[in-house]
Amino acid sequence: MNGPLENVSVIVKGDKTGVNTDNQGRYSINAPSNSTLVFSFVGFKTQNIEVSGRSNINVFMTADAKSLGEVVVVGYGTSKKATVTGSISTVSADKLQSAPSVNFSNDLIGRLPGLVATTPSGEPGNDDAVLRIRGSNTLGNNSPLVVIDGIANRNMQRLDPADVESVTVLKDASAAIYGAEAANGVILVTTKRGSIGKARISVSLNHAITKPTVLPKMADAATYAQMLNEISLYSGGSPVYSPDEIQKFKDGSEPYKYPNTNWISTVFKPSSEQDYGHLSLSGGSESLRYYISFGGNYQDGIYRNSATNYSQANFRSNIDAKISNNIKLSFDLSGRQENRNYPTISQQTIFDFAVTRALPNVVDFYGPGLPGSNFEAGDNPAVISTNKTGYDKDKRYYLQSDLKLDINIPWIKGLSLTGNAAIDKNFMNEKIWRTPWYLYTWDGTTVDDKNKPVLSKVKSGYSDPNLYQYMEDGHVTTLNALLNYQTSILDKHNIKVLLGAEKSVGDLMNFSAYRRYFLSTSLDQLFAGGDLEKDNNGTASQTARLNYFGRLNYNYLSKYMVEFLFRYDGSYIFPADKRFGFFPGVSAGWQVAKENFWKNNLSFINNFKIRASWGQTGNDRITEYQYLSSMGFGNTYIFNDDVQAKTLSELRIANPNVTWEVANQTNIGFDGEMLDGKIKVSADYFYNLRSNILAFRNASVPTSTGLTLPMENIGKVVNRGFEFQVGYGNSKGDFTYEISVNGGFAKNKIKFWDETPGVPDYQKSTGHPMNTNLYYQAIGIYKDQAAVDASPHWDGAQPGDIEFKDVNGDGKINSLDEVRDNRSNIPTFIGGFSGDFKYKNFYLSFLIQGATGAVRYDSITHSGAIGNFFQQDAEGRWTADNPNASKPRTWNGSGSYYTQQPNTYWLQSTDYVRLKNIEIGYTLPDAINSKIGIKGSRIYISGLNLITLDHLTDFDPESVSNITYPLNKVINFGLTVNL
Amino acid sequence: MKKIITLPRIIFLIIVLFTIGCKKDFLETKPLSEISQPDVWSDPTLAETFVNGIYNRLDEPLIKYSRSIYVDESQRRSQKSVLDFNNCLLTPDQIPGWTSGNADPFMLWQPLYASIRACNLFFENIKSVPDDNTLIDGKTLKDRLKGEVHFLRAWFYFNLTNLYGGVPIITKVYQLNDSFSIARNSYADCIKFIVSDCDSAAALLPLIGNGDNKGRATEGAALALKSKVLLFAASDLHNTNVFPSYANPELVGYTDNNRTARWQAAKDAAKAVIDLGQYNLYKPTPAPSDSVSLNFVNMRLSSDNQEDIFVKYYIPATIVTFQNMWLLNGPNGYHAQGNNTPIGNMVDSYEMKDGSKFDWNNPAEAASPYTNRDPRFYADILYEGAKWAQRPSDVINIDPVGIIQVGKWMTWNKTTNSEVDVWGLDTPNGPIETNNSSATGYYCRKFLDPTLKGPYETNIQPYTYRYIRYAEVLMNYAEACIGLHQEDEARTYINMIRRRAGMPDITATGADLVAEYRNERRVEFYDEDKRFFDVRRWVIGPEAYTKTTKVTVVYKLNADNTTATNPTITPQVLETRSWKDKAYFFPIDRKEINKNSKLIQNPGYD
Repeated sequence: MNGPLENVSVIVKGDKTGVNTDNQGRYSINAPSNSTLVFSFVGFKTQNIEVSGRSNINVFMTADAKSLGEVVVVGYGTSKKATVTGSISTVSADKLQSAPSVNFSNDLIGRLPGLVATTPSGEPGNDDAVLRIRGSNTLGNNSPLVVIDGIANRNMQRLDPADVESVTVLKDASAAIYGAEAANGVILVTTKRGSIGKARISVSLNHAITKPTVLPKMADAATYAQMLNEISLYSGGSPVYSPDEIQKFKDGSEPYKYPNTNWISTVFKPSSEQDYGHLSLSGGSESLRYYISFGGNYQDGIYRNSATNYSQANFRSNIDAKISNNIKLSFDLSGRQENRNYPTISQQTIFDFAVTRALPNVVDFYGPGLPGSNFEAGDNPAVISTNKTGYDKDKRYYLQSDLKLDINIPWIKGLSLTGNAAIDKNFMNEKIWRTPWYLYTWDGTTVDDKNKPVLSKVKSGYSDPNLYQYMEDGHVTTLNALLNYQTSILDKHNIKVLLGAEKSVGDLMNFSAYRRYFLSTSLDQLFAGGDLEKDNNGTASQTARLNYFGRLNYNYLSKYMVEFLFRYDGSYIFPADKRFGFFPGVSAGWQVAKENFWKNNLSFINNFKIRASWGQTGNDRITEYQYLSSMGFGNTYIFNDDVQAKTLSELRIANPNVTWEVANQTNIGFDGEMLDGKIKVSADYFYNLRSNILAFRNASVPTSTGLTLPMENIGKVVNRGFEFQVGYGNSKGDFTYEISVNGGFAKNKIKFWDETPGVPDYQKSTGHPMNTNLYYQAIGIYKDQAAVDASPHWDGAQPGDIEFKDVNGDGKINSLDEVRDNRSNIPTFIGGFSGDFKYKNFYLSFLIQGATGAVRYDSITHSGAIGNFFQQDAEGRWTADNPNASKPRTWNGSGSYYTQQPNTYWLQSTDYVRLKNIEIGYTLPDAINSKIGIKGSRIYISGLNLITLDHLTDFDPESVSNITYPLNKVINFGLTVNL
Repeated sequence: MKKIITLPRIIFLIIVLFTIGCKKDFLETKPLSEISQPDVWSDPTLAETFVNGIYNRLDEPLIKYSRSIYVDESQRRSQKSVLDFNNCLLTPDQIPGWTSGNADPFMLWQPLYASIRACNLFFENIKSVPDDNTLIDGKTLKDRLKGEVHFLRAWFYFNLTNLYGGVPIITKVYQLNDSFSIARNSYADCIKFIVSDCDSAAALLPLIGNGDNKGRATEGAALALKSKVLLFAASDLHNTNVFPSYANPELVGYTDNNRTARWQAAKDAAKAVIDLGQYNLYKPTPAPSDSVSLNFVNMRLSSDNQEDIFVKYYIPATIVTFQNMWLLNGPNGYHAQGNNTPIGNMVDSYEMKDGSKFDWNNPAEAASPYTNRDPRFYADILYEGAKWAQRPSDVINIDPVGIIQVGKWMTWNKTTNSEVDVWGLDTPNGPIETNNSSATGYYCRKFLDPTLKGPYETNIQPYTYRYIRYAEVLMNYAEACIGLHQEDEARTYINMIRRRAGMPDITATGADLVAEYRNERRVEFYDEDKRFFDVRRWVIGPEAYTKTTKVTVVYKLNADNTTATNPTITPQVLETRSWKDKAYFFPIDRKEINKNSKLIQNPGYD
């Protein structure tokens, strides 16, 4: 972005004559010394500069994502932003690239009003954001449809951010052109293409250090030993450790016998590394334009000697050729290899053992390379997070191609025909090589002459080396043809028509093989495995869709606008007679600012457009073939000692009437600009009524029926909310700045679905938001036995336990005292505040992002006899000496009623505000650039998730549970050079 | 130059391609990983495969949370939710410990009714399976399958009546739009229905299974199940007034006074199995040179023997961690996990070799509690000093022989002149996997193969789980005889079991005989999933759910600062369990009653 701009139009204000800049951004124009020069370029802000007698005027063009002339991507085409009538959010490339994240989905967070995005895990390779457009609308699948360069259902997460030109989100009826898949909204991504000019090379190199945003603090060995004594005491037993032993844990006098291990610092390294590089070549002539790029990244895990890392290499070649005046051919080819490396132990198990099940009174290492063995299944977290357990190499390959032919029909002006043929292939190849690892056991007494423990080595984990390989081969072909007609009658009536048809077929097959009893770990190939218990497997699936669609746009003097669109959609997911559906949409807009009454009275508001839309879209994201009653193979059953027999069981009973969900989407909004475009405002209000929601009827069907229910179109959900975006940009001398605020609020309510008869009102889900839960109301800690006796209590409650409220006042605590909490794990409000500042060669941009309205439930599974306690739970706990505590007495695992029954004590608000990203950069002056022979360059430091404000102490507000891999804090150093 | 690519040609081509491409037939895809129901019911092999799937839904007693921890046999360390179960904190909302996901996934209302649906689905469709008159073991495939499914349905309903009392008898296959509301049948009706399924099964099934049919239900299995069902029906729980204020006594027991007829039916049913002449006790009369304990070990490790009536086989390739008994139950000093450990009360119920009761108050017995006990004690229990399997490679230096160590040695450190405790390998304070140690001072030896060397050095142990073995039928017969006051006959059969175990005959009468019988059944079937329901049907909750015990084992410091060679073994309270009568039956889930308003809750639950 920061280089010389070619083809910038420079004119003298009030004059018709003008020139364009050349490929080094230079221009020469004759102008009176008191005149004003107007610099303009599509996508950039037009600037008026007074000449004031100068002979050399350098202008810094700033991008203007919302300029009126801007063209936005819409379904199956583009439209002028000024005449768009749907509710659309866009974000341009430069904004997305300032986040030093290697997962593109994470770049979208906080940038687009109406897009709710959270990142539940930061594990390299598994850190995709969960994306929701306008929150949740259905009880089923809420994920939006992703369309990349016009082809639906492509994977967006691993796109190279530098290749992306823009991202557009269709939030309302404008998505209806995508029919039965579009009810959750559509995300349109376009990639960069070449423009006319000399070849431009851009190289970008980034190196970052990363660390978890937060890691929990756990109790130390002495505290934990004391708590073990309490556990024993509370169940009527005697202390496990004497005061003398607890003292030894504390003072470290016998570190091998009475260790005090801080597992967090043993398992996790202080920081990890991340690299990202990108090279692009673009340019072209009238007849051939090209954009070619290569990129790669590497992301290390947070464990010491980590076996976890992610890397990818990708290329893209977007070629546009003009064959004749009427024929244009484009050919896009992109490919990507994604490498995910993990240990053979799952991330959940590692975190389980590294955080809650890592006991502080157990030895981590007896010395360098001598890990201790005192773990169930040998799961020493300092070992199972490394490649001592073998490896899990997961390689995925994507090859996407698209051939596009544009034909202007010369006999009818404005008529054109476009044909697209896209073939996407993807392959996956996973190899899991599990090898036993070795740990060291000390008998607790024997020492050598240097007083070091005498150890013996033990094989752990797997009894023999084994190898599992998995291959997957998938393919999707999409063919479409579009007929476009555009005309203007008397320069007043502007008409655009689109008609199209599209077909897509896909298939997927996989194959796996397994062998064990490898004689040695030296050869990790299938053939070298034993023949006993070798295994293989494989399956396949297919998809097919066919649809027809069209759109009619009409506007009168770009002042009154109306749009009709439809899609007639057929999907293999539904039975033959329910397969096709018709999805219409209509929207209208009024450029009020073009009316004379406005111009005369409100001229400081240069632009004011009111929009409204209504449409129907569908959601077909359910398990296919719900209309068939079929059976599937299950586990084998053994007869005659060792003969394995296949088993069959009913998968579901058929629902012959299953069809897509219907979304009725209504939206009104406006876009405005004031003070010559310095202030921009847009806002939307929406009302979505989703009906025919597919859900299981198991809330009312008794289990005595034994039915495995199919999904039925029974639910109805209303989702309503608003979004806004306000931006202000200005410049003063060498200082230019732009700030922007956006936010979106969405709240849904179940109008109807299957509800268990007879539940009390305060437990009903109907009338409340989706995916909410029932909780007992924790109202305090029982101080003493008298307090227990004085209130209705859980059978078996003791002093120090959590008191539940007797909600229905029947003198008993049972499930009738659970109350529905209206919050879920999806925020209801999400917003961003961003700023871009430039002074001379320096620039600063930042994004502060926040979300409110969501909760997480910290279920306690291990703390107790088999797992450590969080320091905060240990410190504030109830004991006989601390009866007024706010935290319960030492508990033992999930056995206590309040660690087992969902209750509000463990329910935490995840409201947060965080400095999502920040970038400080310096653009090298031209003098230096030319000296070293380059066109432009900049260096920058950027950060991700640097500061977070929330209520949580031990976890990131976005992570879903206490055993998931935390999000990363990233500090990135980068350099971009244009040649 | 002549233009090959002309506009009209391209347009024509696109139109042609689309016309060809847009045939709607291609939307007619088929699932490639599923089999349609009509296909299943037109192919005898697939129909049999479906029946295999019903076997796959049999309850799984040998799992991480074995049924023995919910009764006075074992303890799963300090698992609070299981203790809550053993304190009878069952409610219509929750059955603590039982529904936590570690227990048997099939022993509840919902999964049992799902299994019953599978049986009913089979009966509705079996007529469309083509006939084949080939006889295997004297029966056609269709008859055999019908017999098996009658047997399996009886099995599932029997589990339901044991857990819940009378339940709705459902024989139809519900469709999506049926009315689902249905009332409970009386306990008597349920037993009648189950017995009739057993009778139908017995009539259709081969006498015994051969070859690859081993492990399928047989006539013997159906008759043995019937004997069990009728014995349960004749038991105290269903024939005495346990819940005097319950408004629907017919749901939990009999309301007539024909108990003698029920004892007679139970006796006849057991006799019918005996009279088949197909089964015998394993080594019924041990030779003087036999190690009786070893006989029992071998019986349990054998893949099949003459005592088997209905079994389930497990092989290493299909055993998941959840069922890996060696890993789950072995001592922590072997890198195993020490679950389901016998409680002191259970261990104490093994008699002395001479047939007298073991007694901690007898100084000689208390000083050396593990000598001269019932030979089954040595086959079932791992205790301090028991010689067992070789230790894993890292532990073999510490203990080259393989002796269970559940205690501590008090030793004297001469340099510091202080006492130092050295903990045994299988204790919670030892050096190995301390989390996984027994809390009772014992480990379960039953079913475990001592030739294995720990979970990471050898393969998983295969095993045969015996749902019904002949010994149970003999005991059922004896119990029915006691009910009919035919004590001689009862003693004869009890003594068959005792003789095989190398124990002297019993001679008791009256209440003593009942007590002796019950103790014999407890010991013979330790951890074989009998005790849980026995305690309930005998209505002895208060004596079974009480204080449990463990032992502490200390090799004391002698006056001269040497360590004693013999341990001091002391029984102590392990945990306190308590009984509530409502727990004789499980509660029906509140949600299920909300969904089906005709259901009446069991006594004691609201």
